[in-house]
Amino acid sequence: MKQTGIKFAALGVLLVVSLFLSNIIYSKWFYKDDLIETDAKMLLELDSLQNVNDIIYFAESSNATTGYYDTCKKSISELIADQLKNKSLGTIQHAAIHAKTYLELIKNIRPDSKVKTIIVTMNLRSFDADWINSKLETPLMRANVMYAQLPAIIKKLMISFSAYDDKVEYLRNKERAHHWKHDPIIVPENFPYKNVKDWDGAIFSKLFDQPKTRDLTCAYIKTYGFSIDTLTNPRIKDFDEIVKVAKEKNLHLVFNLLAENVQYADSLVGKELVSLIKQNRDLLMQRYNKNGVIVVDNLELVNGKEFCDQDWTTEHYVQSGRIRIAGNVFATAAVYLK
Amino acid sequence: MLFNTLNFLLFLPVVIGMYYLIPNRSRWILLFVASCYFYMVFYPPYVLILFAVILIDYFCGLKMENAKGFRRKLFLILSVVGNIGILGYFKYSNFLATSWIDFSVFAHFKTSMHVSDILLPIGLSFHTFQSLSYTIEVYRGKQKAERHIGYFANYVLFFPQMVAGPIERYNRLGVQLRENHPYAYENIAAGFKMVLYGLFVKMCIADNMAPIVNAVYEHPEKFSQLSVITALIAFSLQIYADFYGYSTIALGAAKMMGINLMDNFKQPYFATSIRDFWKRWHISLSSWFRDYVFIPMGGSRVNLFRFIINILFLFALSGFWHGANYTFIIWGALHGLAYLLEYGVMKISFIEKMAQNRMVKFIHGVKTFLIVTFIWIFFRAENMTNAKQIIHAIIYSSKEKITPLLIQWWVLIPFLIFIAVEILIRKNRIDNWLGGKKVFLRWSFYFVMLMCIMLFSGIKSYPFIYFRF
Repeated sequence: MKQTGIKFAALGVLLVVSLFLSNIIYSKWFYKDDLIETDAKMLLELDSLQNVNDIIYFAESSNATTGYYDTCKKSISELIADQLKNKSLGTIQHAAIHAKTYLELIKNIRPDSKVKTIIVTMNLRSFDADWINSKLETPLMRANVMYAQLPAIIKKLMISFSAYDDKVEYLRNKERAHHWKHDPIIVPENFPYKNVKDWDGAIFSKLFDQPKTRDLTCAYIKTYGFSIDTLTNPRIKDFDEIVKVAKEKNLHLVFNLLAENVQYADSLVGKELVSLIKQNRDLLMQRYNKNGVIVVDNLELVNGKEFCDQDWTTEHYVQSGRIRIAGNVFATAAVYLK
Repeated sequence: MLFNTLNFLLFLPVVIGMYYLIPNRSRWILLFVASCYFYMVFYPPYVLILFAVILIDYFCGLKMENAKGFRRKLFLILSVVGNIGILGYFKYSNFLATSWIDFSVFAHFKTSMHVSDILLPIGLSFHTFQSLSYTIEVYRGKQKAERHIGYFANYVLFFPQMVAGPIERYNRLGVQLRENHPYAYENIAAGFKMVLYGLFVKMCIADNMAPIVNAVYEHPEKFSQLSVITALIAFSLQIYADFYGYSTIALGAAKMMGINLMDNFKQPYFATSIRDFWKRWHISLSSWFRDYVFIPMGGSRVNLFRFIINILFLFALSGFWHGANYTFIIWGALHGLAYLLEYGVMKISFIEKMAQNRMVKFIHGVKTFLIVTFIWIFFRAENMTNAKQIIHAIIYSSKEKITPLLIQWWVLIPFLIFIAVEILIRKNRIDNWLGGKKVFLRWSFYFVMLMCIMLFSGIKSYPFIYFRF
């Protein structure tokens, strides 16, 4: 038995030596390639940006998507940067990311960095069951492992051994369907539908003969038909954690709540859906204002026609919309930006 | 649960530790709970399918043992219908529905058939076939019916091999599950070697081949002929490394508990004929089909015409067992055809004599590898159109702008290590081969394997290919 113990101990030593050596080799020759391969190159961007910028704007595609007829193709963050006098702003941006990714990146802001303020995009849709259970979560969660503050070889091993939320698409779809069926929504008592599944099903039947309107209307219901549960919603946990980390790092924090197409939500679905959107907005504003965060409310700032995608629910704005949002951010968060 | 996950790396030592801490009479409970958990990590409700298989075959086995004549046959039929029914519903119903819908379009009639949203339970073909082998053996009177449902359940559920084999017979695995296996360091050491090597083969070889193969199979028209041929060879390596890696880990995990599973591979790419290949590749499935399909059909003791039909049917059926798609049937049928062609050619006496020559053997080895590699196209392709695209891309050069096939230089390092180890251990198994070596060599091997897994494992983890069968 003693000999067995010695052999297990020797194996442990071998494992530690292998980890140590492989970490040196991996960090030197493979790590950067893997960051790019896992779509986690934002970590490299952050490394360079935080040395030269006072402000960092964290965003997804809403920042830089432009309209076909736009004469000015500047992103929201560039438009904000244009208004700054003595401060510089850098942008970290990647399509379809959300607060969990921002959080992991913010954790990587060093104490000696130049950054004093961070503006974090808050997308209302990222709180819904559709986005939370999107198939894009798997690559996002994999990339998030690469942002963790661990030795490079440990991150590599965590990815290789699937130590992240690596669910198959079928299971994500099932979870989403479960939420649509069981998550309660706060609607007037006389409203006939108490969950998204019933609501969506009824409208689908009603508009069956008008496929284009039907699909768009149903998309609005599935996208915005939710009431944020602050106890269980994972995005709330992420934003709460961002607040905590920002405080620890002495960073000024601004949440930029994006504009949604409230006009179309009203005309396509009706006042109940608009009410849900506004309830969620109010909840987020109250929750984070109370925590000392400046929350920029852009929710109703952009008109229906100023959205690039007229036939789906996105936060992509034409030039006038982006300019208005940038102006609103600058005005609301002036205390940190001027 | 997948073997190449952190979950499994934590799960295995815990189960092994508990296995040796508790008395033998209680181990079946531990193995049952562990196996259920192992399976439920994938999708919990599907464990009920396994329970259904267990209950059907357990009761059929019991009833069959004492029954005679038609009644005995009736319970066999019940077991076959139960197992094949479950397999048919979950694995083949959508294939049949799609085929019927396609036919209705072709024949211009309306059908109310629809494709349902079913998630295929992992390894369903494996555990149904394994369980079925038990009832057939009981029916034949070669196996006594198991009275303890717990032991029988563990035979169907035994986690190291439940989702991708080897497909064990009750007289091997069932008996071992009952036996007392006291703690032995040798078993742990042998199992560790196999698990380590299996992980290396899966993670450093198969998972590094996958991106090369996937890129070409997704858009064959974008690649040069050389790239497409490279991807075909890469898939030959991927499928072998993937399944061989899995089997080695399965054998290793079982060995740690003192249980010996059958070898499922004997270096199939060293085979000198298609017949030889099938004696070395997925041996447990080949022997299942031989014992329960081919021999009952008359085997080779039939006239030539019947023999040809039997072989083609057997291989096509084996293909269909793998997947509910025409591509798998064609894959199997092509193997059958190649088998028959070789069989015919080898009947010519001077060729048979020549085949004993070492150089000729080598040429036959290369020929077999190339045939198998070509036929893998149908195994890997998403559908027949994709298979046709690949074959087209091999014959004709692309008219589109050629995309270079990206292969990282460092992939060669684990690949060369793998080839070297396989040549060294030829006709042996990694644990046996390594067990006879000096301490320095053994520990150097562990070190190299650990370093390779850490440095060269793929950054995207791919599920084992055979899990979906």
